[in-house]
Amino acid sequence: MAECIFAFGQCFEGKLHPASLEILTPLREVADRLNKRLILIGLADDKEKFLAIPELKKLLADEVWYIIHPNLKHLPDDLCERVFVYLASEHKPFGIFFPATKKGLSVAPRVAASLQAGLCAHVNAFEVKNGNLFLLRPTYGENIIAKLTSQTLPIMATIALNAFPIKEAEKEPLIKELKLPEGFDWSTKLTIKNFKPAKKEPSRLSVAKIVVGGGMGLKSKENFQMLFELAKILNAEVGGTRPAVHAGWVEAERMIGVSGVSVRPKLYLAFGISGAIQHTVGMEGSEFIVSINIDKEAPMMKMAHIGFVCDAPSFLKALLRKLKAED
Amino acid sequence: MGRIVVCIKGVPKPGTVKVDEETHTLRRESAELILNPPDRPALEVALRLKDQANFEVIAISMGPPNMVPLLQKVYALGVDDIYLISDRAFAGSDTLATSRILARALSLLSPFDLVVMGARSIDGETGQVPPETASLLNLPSITYVKEIRFVDGKFIAIREDDFGEEEVEFPSPAVVSIVPEIDYVRPPSLKRLLSLKEITPKILTNAELNLDEASIGLSGSPTQVVDVFEKTFVSRGEIFEGEPDELAEKLIEVLKEKGFLA
Amino acid sequence: MLIEFPLKEEHKIMIELIKEIGETYIKPYSLEWDEKEAYNATPIKALAQADLFGLIIPKEYGGLGFGTFEMCLAVEWLSYFCAGVSTTYAASFLGAYPIILFGSKEQKERYLPSIAKGEKLCAFALTEPQAGSDAFAIKTTAKKDGDFYILNGIKQWITNGGIADIYTVIALTDPAKGARGASAFIVEKGDPGFMVGKKEKKLGLRASVTTDLIFNDCQIPKDRLIAREGMGFMVALKTLDYARCGAGAQALGIAQAALEVSLKHAKTRVQFGQPVYQFQAVSHTFAEMAMRLSSARALVYSVCQYIDSGAKDFSGASAMAKCFATDQAMWITERAIQMMGGYGYMRDYPVQKFFRDAKCLQIYEGTNEIQRNIIARELAKWIKV
Repeated sequence: MAECIFAFGQCFEGKLHPASLEILTPLREVADRLNKRLILIGLADDKEKFLAIPELKKLLADEVWYIIHPNLKHLPDDLCERVFVYLASEHKPFGIFFPATKKGLSVAPRVAASLQAGLCAHVNAFEVKNGNLFLLRPTYGENIIAKLTSQTLPIMATIALNAFPIKEAEKEPLIKELKLPEGFDWSTKLTIKNFKPAKKEPSRLSVAKIVVGGGMGLKSKENFQMLFELAKILNAEVGGTRPAVHAGWVEAERMIGVSGVSVRPKLYLAFGISGAIQHTVGMEGSEFIVSINIDKEAPMMKMAHIGFVCDAPSFLKALLRKLKAED
Repeated sequence: MGRIVVCIKGVPKPGTVKVDEETHTLRRESAELILNPPDRPALEVALRLKDQANFEVIAISMGPPNMVPLLQKVYALGVDDIYLISDRAFAGSDTLATSRILARALSLLSPFDLVVMGARSIDGETGQVPPETASLLNLPSITYVKEIRFVDGKFIAIREDDFGEEEVEFPSPAVVSIVPEIDYVRPPSLKRLLSLKEITPKILTNAELNLDEASIGLSGSPTQVVDVFEKTFVSRGEIFEGEPDELAEKLIEVLKEKGFLA
Repeated sequence: MLIEFPLKEEHKIMIELIKEIGETYIKPYSLEWDEKEAYNATPIKALAQADLFGLIIPKEYGGLGFGTFEMCLAVEWLSYFCAGVSTTYAASFLGAYPIILFGSKEQKERYLPSIAKGEKLCAFALTEPQAGSDAFAIKTTAKKDGDFYILNGIKQWITNGGIADIYTVIALTDPAKGARGASAFIVEKGDPGFMVGKKEKKLGLRASVTTDLIFNDCQIPKDRLIAREGMGFMVALKTLDYARCGAGAQALGIAQAALEVSLKHAKTRVQFGQPVYQFQAVSHTFAEMAMRLSSARALVYSVCQYIDSGAKDFSGASAMAKCFATDQAMWITERAIQMMGGYGYMRDYPVQKFFRDAKCLQIYEGTNEIQRNIIARELAKWIKV
């Protein structure tokens, strides 16, 4: 008993949500440390489309169990709950994990309530010690990291998005279809009347938790572009000062300041920004400000929580080099 | 006349939170409480249904006695009745225990057509309570709802999904959670604000809810916090000088310390 | 700022509410609305839902039954956030006053409840192309025709034109009778022959709507007459007496905002190694601003208290409040721009908007020249020779 770990494979129209692949990365390690089998549970309405999913053969699970029924097309929460509750009672898994997608965050709590199991949300790190599994997450406004356990089995959690990279397996998982018993209740109380696929995502600068900003101190457009690389590593958005926008180094939608975007991120990294009022009114509410500037007396250096007196392009190059080396 | 129950939460004003060193849970009694911002759209959605189809709107909140002023402010927004669900035995509840308490309170307030909640709270940020409560009550849950339409006696939710936008028809009663983004929320009414002193919430304790103590509070919470690490803040204006390499190293160290880098 | 008026609990509650409304629905957008010269209904909706359109409407019609003092507090604080929005708000009271002061019971029952709920905005229509300060020179006629009146003419520069549902219009029922030849009417949006002209482009108060009103054989039922024929100018002048303090209150809000923004700037802007506030030319200017604003505020609110105490004759008092406060606002906002230097001149910053908004206050609701005429006339009544 409790020999397997379930991970929710969220499918839609023949696509597997990348978050379902991300969560396999830490779960693979957990499964190995605790000597359990990691099983991806896929729910879908079309068998052929499911089996055609490209990532299926390279994902990190030991097995993939898929369940097919037309009612699963839009993964209605009540039906998904029933399926997982059935699987839990049949197989008594050690843990059931969902990605913190909207679907995961909607289904996991229903399953947990039915199983009277504890559920931890937005877990972004795991710890295995003496055969016990600990779940870590930032909490209470993200200034505190909490370490949690669950006193019930299965251990359940939703795993934070973008917290783990997708990794590929050496070995192909065992893929098999699960047929649920004859009398299984496939009904759902929810009726989808209409579905509109998502359009391209709008700019996320104003709601970004981490912003890297660049000013004239970066000296050139090429140097400025390095900010995008840094942003990718930090999972941040890029912004620029007015002069930088007018110099054509970055598009106007990314201008931070008066008559531009106002940002209130947890972390603001200012590269080569002097700190003119036109810019600072757009970011002075940032929780933690880091400034890199050759000029020790620049207003941004006084405003920052930490300042590095340094030529911005050199600092940025060194920073990128070190961050990439760590990976 | 139908009934809508809105579950709201008082959360510590960001920056004023204190964590109990022993239990690692929030010391809610000592914190300055504000209305959980995502609950405001939830209240607005309920009040729009009241304007449109004359639903009775009741606001309930599980929390300590210092929630009363917040509930009064919610009354000023236009709800018909306010309830505080409060008992020492509820303290320290995780989302499952909380959902048990809310489910029991809701069953005392039934029949109702809709339970409306904000999608998440800004302190716990789990978003789990609406679907957990729904499951315990054996009701459908519809999450990430942007808009609720009430047409010909039927409810339709416009909701955000990971892959697009859904229009979902659902039967009542049901539990709905509302996304924090909304086009407009109404201000409080001056008439109600001027008469606020006379308004007190009805109180429900465990005497009325009659829940087994093993299922509520810390003892009823399967998830337990075993440790917390608080992030420390560097004071403003610390300046470092040196070579790009060593400075970059220092920045990486600071970012890791603060959890911005793994 | 240096003086705090003692306020009743209910006033504090009201001001807190307006500050909340200002911060939420107005402050983030006021510069944008000014730049685009756009009227936005959202803050008006919020004010309506907050019961603020019922402030001076009697309780029996669903209002709060407050007086001029409370109206001015509300208008001052709204103006602090955007005078364009406060103009829409205050002008609606201006349009409602004829009904409140002179309406029949039936008219009050018909119109005041929806005005109190903010469901319907009002507008007051007196001015015409050839009749500004010389209000008696109006030419719009209202001819009795059986059970109707037929209105013909043009009203110019009417605030809330097009967005209001209820218009109180002064028109001539008997041109031969001069000052006793006008009557006041209620015209509703949708009345046949009533049209709204194009929206004007203004120097300031750009979030507020100003249009012409065109009456082209506009037919209204005879029960739309307010009071009696011949009372038109009396209704107009009494209405303006009551509303004048509101314009003064607007001036206070604008001046307060200008003072705060420029003072904050002066304390942080460093030139020649120190904040510019340290230079006497600057700090003395702020001292002057503070004195002028405080005295204007004291005057406006003491006049409000005088009116609310039941004074019969307060034209001179309200004229003083309006004229003095609006002149001070103009002085203060001009100095505020100067104290901010270039930052005061750029449209990315709000101080230039305060200056442009303040200018209209010296002109509308009776120019400050007319106000001085009124003060002088009333003053003369005090000394008998």
